[in-house]
Amino acid sequence: MALKISLGQYFAANSVVHRLDPRTKVCASLAIMVSVFFIHTPAQLALGFAFVLVTIALARIPAHRVLESVLPVFAMLVVLGVFNLLLTTSGVVLVHAGPLRITTDGVRAALLYSTRLVIGVLAGMLLLLTTTPAQLTDAFDKLLSPLARIGFPAHSIAMVFSLMLRFIPTLADEAAALVDAQTARGGALTEGSPIRRIRAVAPLIVSLLASSLNHANDLSRALDARCYEDGAERSHWHPLHMRARDWLALVLAVIYVVALVFVI
Amino acid sequence: MSGSDQSDFAREALRSQGAPGSSARTLDFGRDGQAPTDASLMELSHVTLEYESGSQALNDVSLSVAPGEWLCVLGANGSGKSTLASVLCGLLAPDAGSVRLVGEDVFDGARGARIDFDAYRRARRSIGLVFQNPDDQIVTTVVDEDVAFGPENLGVPPAEIGRRVERELRRVAMQDFAKADPTHLSGGQKQRVAIAGALAMEPQVLVLDEPGSLLDVRGRAAILRVMGRLREAGTTIVHITHFMDEALEADRVVVLNAGRVALEGTPREVFDPSHAELLTTLGLEEPFEMRLRRRVQFLRYEDCLSTAPSGPPTEQLSILCGRARTEDSPAQQEQPAISVEHVSFAYRRERKALDDVSLEIAQGESLAIIGQTGSGKSTLLRLLCALEVPDEGRVVINGICTARKRSRRRLHGTIGYVMQHPERQLFASTVLEDVSFGPRNMGLSASEISQRCAKALHIVGLVGFDDASPFELSGGQQRLCALAGILAMQPKTLVLDEPRAGLDPRGRHELRGILNNIHALGTTIVQVTHSMEEAARAERIVVLDQARVLLTGTPAEVFCAKNEELLLRAGLGLPLPLAWALAHGIESSPLTLDALAQTISTEHPSFSDWGDSHGA
Repeated sequence: MALKISLGQYFAANSVVHRLDPRTKVCASLAIMVSVFFIHTPAQLALGFAFVLVTIALARIPAHRVLESVLPVFAMLVVLGVFNLLLTTSGVVLVHAGPLRITTDGVRAALLYSTRLVIGVLAGMLLLLTTTPAQLTDAFDKLLSPLARIGFPAHSIAMVFSLMLRFIPTLADEAAALVDAQTARGGALTEGSPIRRIRAVAPLIVSLLASSLNHANDLSRALDARCYEDGAERSHWHPLHMRARDWLALVLAVIYVVALVFVI
Repeated sequence: MSGSDQSDFAREALRSQGAPGSSARTLDFGRDGQAPTDASLMELSHVTLEYESGSQALNDVSLSVAPGEWLCVLGANGSGKSTLASVLCGLLAPDAGSVRLVGEDVFDGARGARIDFDAYRRARRSIGLVFQNPDDQIVTTVVDEDVAFGPENLGVPPAEIGRRVERELRRVAMQDFAKADPTHLSGGQKQRVAIAGALAMEPQVLVLDEPGSLLDVRGRAAILRVMGRLREAGTTIVHITHFMDEALEADRVVVLNAGRVALEGTPREVFDPSHAELLTTLGLEEPFEMRLRRRVQFLRYEDCLSTAPSGPPTEQLSILCGRARTEDSPAQQEQPAISVEHVSFAYRRERKALDDVSLEIAQGESLAIIGQTGSGKSTLLRLLCALEVPDEGRVVINGICTARKRSRRRLHGTIGYVMQHPERQLFASTVLEDVSFGPRNMGLSASEISQRCAKALHIVGLVGFDDASPFELSGGQQRLCALAGILAMQPKTLVLDEPRAGLDPRGRHELRGILNNIHALGTTIVQVTHSMEEAARAERIVVLDQARVLLTGTPAEVFCAKNEELLLRAGLGLPLPLAWALAHGIESSPLTLDALAQTISTEHPSFSDWGDSHGA
């Protein structure tokens, strides 16, 4: 199909990072993602990149796979950078042409704020590339289990999340096929004035909704047939165990975050 | 209903009697008394099920499945066979009647339509289900974890799960794909994973609801092989299908029509020659060999009537093979409908989807494109419809190169593209509105639009459905409605991607007739198909393998004994009539059933007693 979305596709390998308990990976990558917003200096940026890249190397994931998963976000980061560049007015003015004003602070913000998000994206991708959806479900299930006691549907939410990862590529393929079909019937999805395009989206949305409902219907049939019951006790093929390497990994992640936020 | 009530009563009376008596006596007595119910794993009696819309999906169906039995359920689209599968799997409770699944009385209509949810839950643990769409049955993104999903839900201990996953993946020959992402597998491979997932739960019964209807020849053959292996292992199978030839191997066949059991018996009984007409009226057909035998008998009978045949047999043969038409078609002088020149295309840099493909399609030609999953067929179609531009080489449609955006837009009206499962693109609130979407986009006048829509609906046989909602049509009608939407644009070239996937024999037959009519009116037809028999009916065939053109030529040139090996290696095969002829030592190469029957009746009198020795 035309549109292959590689978002969150597990990369099978047998590295140290793959073998970590999924809970460790979830906690560590969340910590890294949050810590990204504390990055304000080039030194912090360098530390962040160093940490994430070393982990990727340890996970033995080929560079092109990593790039593939970051590229879709790249356009968004560029837009963000341009906004920072144009909207920051403090600092020394470098270019001044009509309403356009580019300052040193603007350039700095554009570079720093866009690139620091790359670290967060990489950390998230690393989690998805090294952890299967089933492991993620188990991890969220376990991590949120204290909340389950006060009635929070931890397991269901984890399951929905994992099904979402499974069905994104299927629905994306289907959307691409529908775009093809509508285009061939003269629908103006990719050309014409914005109003024309918006009008052309309606048929696409209706058919995509109809097919999503069909998928949902089939899926519920499949889940029932395989005896999945919400809230019921299930066993686990690979029960979760925190080992020494998990605690070590968590300690390293904590050291990294502390160093990033307080030391540098 | 009173009968089943009585037997229930009797059964319970037997049980209560059996408990206190002497052991030997009660055992014997119990076995004799319970034989009709306990001998069957599943038993439906007088089951009726009505959907909210008021349509009756099942109407007084009684059915039992014995342990170790392979039961095949046949029926046209809309005959109620999927509903029956859901009832048998314990996913749907009927409105009336009684249902007993793997020893659990789950539903008893006699006692105020009581649904025993706990019994249903228990029964479901011993019943496996595999259904049509492989995409919707796989719930995770790693193959082996998906197989483990069912056992995990059953609370099977981890070490045992590991054993079962390995065993079942090996059984369906998918052990090399244990860590693969299911979205990267072919439909047939996904379906085998789904079967492994069901088997890993060690069910007492496996229900397969049209497992092969969306698959290509190779995928379907692999599923059948797996089923054969399961049968040897003694697994009870309920197989729901509309491929008649798959039913021949079954122990028992049930034919459904409009929610009722129309025929029941061994394959031999059900496919008895006297049932031929009935099967046709039910939207089905006889298995291949029986249709062949009937045709041969008919031809011999005709010969007896008039000793002088209407023409020399060889000439008739060539007409049937579609050879005659291409030879004297004036296409050569005209500009080709589509010409593809040294085209290469890749979605991603590492792997080319098409590699240096060249072909020319003449005006008014009918071309079939065949090739296994991933050979580049669908990509080629997208290029032919100007939905994509080649990386190298060029595609010229009616003299217009597709490289420029503006010219592509102009072409979208002249080339009709029927996507795979076109019914998925339906969106409007009425059939008429949906069909007029294309013509309206072309900017035609209101009178022209309504005229074209009426004509298109007439061609597909949906007259009088103008104001119906497309979502309320049956599956086959939805597909025809989507096709009408393309035909209303009156394209010069019609490009179809697997137009027959999932259709029953009647639907396939209808669609063939419609396409023949459109072709006769001068429309160029290009279709991708899984079916070698359909491909053999086209005027020319292009075989794709690994992004390249492997073979091209008339059906007679492509499908011949010397190409058999090449085709097999490309995941394809020969059309059934030709394969049959080769297996039976018939020299000429008949491509259609009619041609084969013709050959047999004129040149092979040795097959005179054939009806007896080659029976079902």
